[in-house]
Amino acid sequence: MAQAYRSLTTLAAALGAAILVSGCPAPSRRPEPPANPTTGPQSSEPVTPGSPAPSPPPRAPSAPRENHLSPATRSLVTQSRTLASRGDLDGASSTLDRALRIEPNNPLLWIELGRLRLAESDAHQAESCGRKALALASGDRGTQAQAGRLLADALRAQGRNQEAIEIERQPFMR
Amino acid sequence: MARVARSRLRRWAVALVSGCIVLAAAGLAWIVHLDHVVTREFQGRHWSIPAHVYAAPLELYVGAPISANDLEEELRRLHYHSGDPVARPGVYRRRGGSFDLYARRVRFIDEQREPQLVSIGADANSIVRLAKADGAPKADGAAKAKAEGEELPVFRLDPPVIGSVFPIHGEDRLVLSPDDVPALLRSGIKLIEDRRFDEHHGVDAHGIVRALWANLRAGRVVQGGSTLTQQLVKNYFLSDEQSFGRKATEAVMALRLEAHFSKEEILVAYLNEVYLGQDGSRAIHGFGLGSEYYFAKPLAELDVGELALLIGLVKGPSYYDPRKHADRARARRNLVLQELEQARLIDTAAAARAAATPLGLRPPGGSYVPAYLDLVRRHLKRDYAEADLAAAGLAVYTSLDLRAQAAAERAVTMNLKRLDAAGRVRGGHLEGAVIVAEPNSGDVVAVVGGRDVGADGFNRALDARRPIGSLVKPAIYLAALETGRYNAATVIEDAPIELKLSDGSIWAPQNFEHQVYGRVPMARALAESMNLATVRLGLDIGLPKVAETLQRLGLETPATLNPSLLLGTVEMTPLEVVQVYTSLANGGYRARLRAVLAVLDEQGRPLKSFKVQIEEAAPPAAVYQLDRMLTLVTTRGTGRDAAARLPRGTVVAGKTGTSSDTRDSWFAGFTGSYVSVAWVGYDDNRVTGLTGAMGALPVWADTLAKLRSASFEPVPPEQVEDRWIGFGDGLETSPACSTDAVAVSVPKDTALPAKPGCGPSSSTGTSPSNTMGDKIKEWLKHIVH
Repeated sequence: MAQAYRSLTTLAAALGAAILVSGCPAPSRRPEPPANPTTGPQSSEPVTPGSPAPSPPPRAPSAPRENHLSPATRSLVTQSRTLASRGDLDGASSTLDRALRIEPNNPLLWIELGRLRLAESDAHQAESCGRKALALASGDRGTQAQAGRLLADALRAQGRNQEAIEIERQPFMR
Repeated sequence: MARVARSRLRRWAVALVSGCIVLAAAGLAWIVHLDHVVTREFQGRHWSIPAHVYAAPLELYVGAPISANDLEEELRRLHYHSGDPVARPGVYRRRGGSFDLYARRVRFIDEQREPQLVSIGADANSIVRLAKADGAPKADGAAKAKAEGEELPVFRLDPPVIGSVFPIHGEDRLVLSPDDVPALLRSGIKLIEDRRFDEHHGVDAHGIVRALWANLRAGRVVQGGSTLTQQLVKNYFLSDEQSFGRKATEAVMALRLEAHFSKEEILVAYLNEVYLGQDGSRAIHGFGLGSEYYFAKPLAELDVGELALLIGLVKGPSYYDPRKHADRARARRNLVLQELEQARLIDTAAAARAAATPLGLRPPGGSYVPAYLDLVRRHLKRDYAEADLAAAGLAVYTSLDLRAQAAAERAVTMNLKRLDAAGRVRGGHLEGAVIVAEPNSGDVVAVVGGRDVGADGFNRALDARRPIGSLVKPAIYLAALETGRYNAATVIEDAPIELKLSDGSIWAPQNFEHQVYGRVPMARALAESMNLATVRLGLDIGLPKVAETLQRLGLETPATLNPSLLLGTVEMTPLEVVQVYTSLANGGYRARLRAVLAVLDEQGRPLKSFKVQIEEAAPPAAVYQLDRMLTLVTTRGTGRDAAARLPRGTVVAGKTGTSSDTRDSWFAGFTGSYVSVAWVGYDDNRVTGLTGAMGALPVWADTLAKLRSASFEPVPPEQVEDRWIGFGDGLETSPACSTDAVAVSVPKDTALPAKPGCGPSSSTGTSPSNTMGDKIKEWLKHIVH
């Protein structure tokens, strides 16, 4: 168990280094959508069809994106790892909660949380975190690969080797 | 004769002696019992320190959506005082958007932070600068220089105290440790209440004689001879009844207490226990809470006059109530100041200065949030024994966001007032409830349980179980999308339908205003909440599949498989609704709602932490398609009124709900930051005349408008793409071609029937992906710049 954790932290550290290095100050979200002009006089339900209200701005799937941590969340991830390396997994988890409150949709944070869950031997939650990270990482190959590795590890930890292999065969893992 | 008398005498004597022995034994047993009570209760401090509850601290980081005014408001809420120089913890200085703050020592879930000087810059929208302003107060020169101006990526303010759970007999206290007791309070309280405290053994014979003498001379009770120890015993263990028996018990217990515990322990316990006032149903016990209640700051920050007022209050908290009887309170304070001066505990100048200042009362700080505390209590109950929670002085850290709570409270009270005034129903007041949560973590950030937001009582957010009406529809449409046989453009039939139910009766649902719309795309049927189309769709999918979908999303009690389920006869509490919608707001992941993040014991050791728990509840791609349809509800459908109340351009997704005859008005939905549900109705289930859009929607929108939440822009899964369809006919088109073109998300490469002469190929540059591609190019250019 201790050994498993050590190897995990090594892995997490390597992974973290990648995250920290890739961090640049550009925003991680897509640009703000244009403002919707407000609609005319409004009635309650039901409404008449073909009312002039505009639809939300359409969006493109799989637009190239790159996820990274903001300075605030990066420092919290570092703190969380320090606590984890001292064996304070609860503290590490609480610190990651803070980061998630700041950037709830950042897949890198969900990967970090999944790694922590693996260290806590909660492979089931690690799997959920991995899947969620994978969904959030859509369009970012690098982050998808990290999420995929977490997911494969979480599946293996549950003895689901075949599913892990399938994940590793996904195009984003190459 | 004589023999008879003698034997009778002997019998009497035996009876008397044995009686005495029994009495003595009983007396001894009584004393042993009291001794036991005293030691047991006192030793483990198992009296009634309730768990102390904290709201979430405000996180500061560059870019955090907190304006300079927001920041100052929060500092005031936390009882920081404006001052110059910023010389001690609890003080801040503001110059324009620039703040110097001396943060107090604080215990967080994951760390103990020592006092720290920070420098913060904020503009009208957000935090723009954050740095350490100085080293810790005790840092040596070198460390100080090093710390100067050091960047601080993230810094949190103190977690606000929001109350206590399980306050026994409605008591509430902030427990002081010996180090927290100011020297002047220590000597002052002895001077005023029990001069011989350091000499006596719990009961003071001198004091009793003196009191007796004074009372005899006055002809009535003017003095009590009670020592601090006796007062403590009386407050801890005994009722208020005045009797000889109680007095004797009190004396014995006081003596036993002194035999077992040090003067220091007794004094500190006394300072924590003493009754200092009443705030509605809440009793104010202890100097820690008294200081917060009367002066809105910690005891350590009180000046001489403020301390003297609190010391004086002990004699009669209601008689000297400074809020009700300011003159009496002032006279009492000044008398205490005089005594302190005569005993040379303060100098003449200080006494005179303090006597000349106003009382310095402030409105009680912090907010009382009974509905949220109720949720905290229930979540704790799942994991703790009630006695443990009452006992050990735990610290409970919650996810309550006081700003969100204030926004929700205001939205409820203002809107209900307005709706009552517009009154469709005479007599009676509308009631309302709101819950706001963070969908990714499941953290509940605000709970309003009724229009009287500060009152305990029926908590509608947790306990009002009502039919959810059309709030059920997203589950039906999700189930349909999951089959793969339907997408947003699929045309379904809004036409009358009659069903024979199992009891033989005929069920003939109607649209809200009895229209029939005919063939409509699924996106429009949901946006305009068409009943007939939805019932037909639900029957095609199958009731079991719909009920199962609801359950996966978070409904705990299985829904009855009756066709009327499709129109939302299923009853749910606002809390259950928010759990279901959390799964929709969170890309198909159900996050278990949590109000309690962690519980620490008195020493700051974690007893329990409640971690984020997520489960995949529905396929993310299907949820994404559904969520995009739910944004049409707020732009084109029954939820259109939301736009006018939200910051311009904010994209939100949601659904209105109206139960039969408008008894319940619901709105549930989400932004990029929060998921929330609002309910409006009458407690006695009368007809309100309000649809979901008229009653609950304004409450929902006003709440979220205050929260500066981000637009709802989920990351599109790779299996789907955006297409333009006609809102009226569902045919593929382009904005150039149709005025009612709306963007929907459908599985990639779905074959859509095109509007003649329109379709994506006939126009250039206006298909959704092209538009988006241009925007991204523009954005990239901006970044490179």
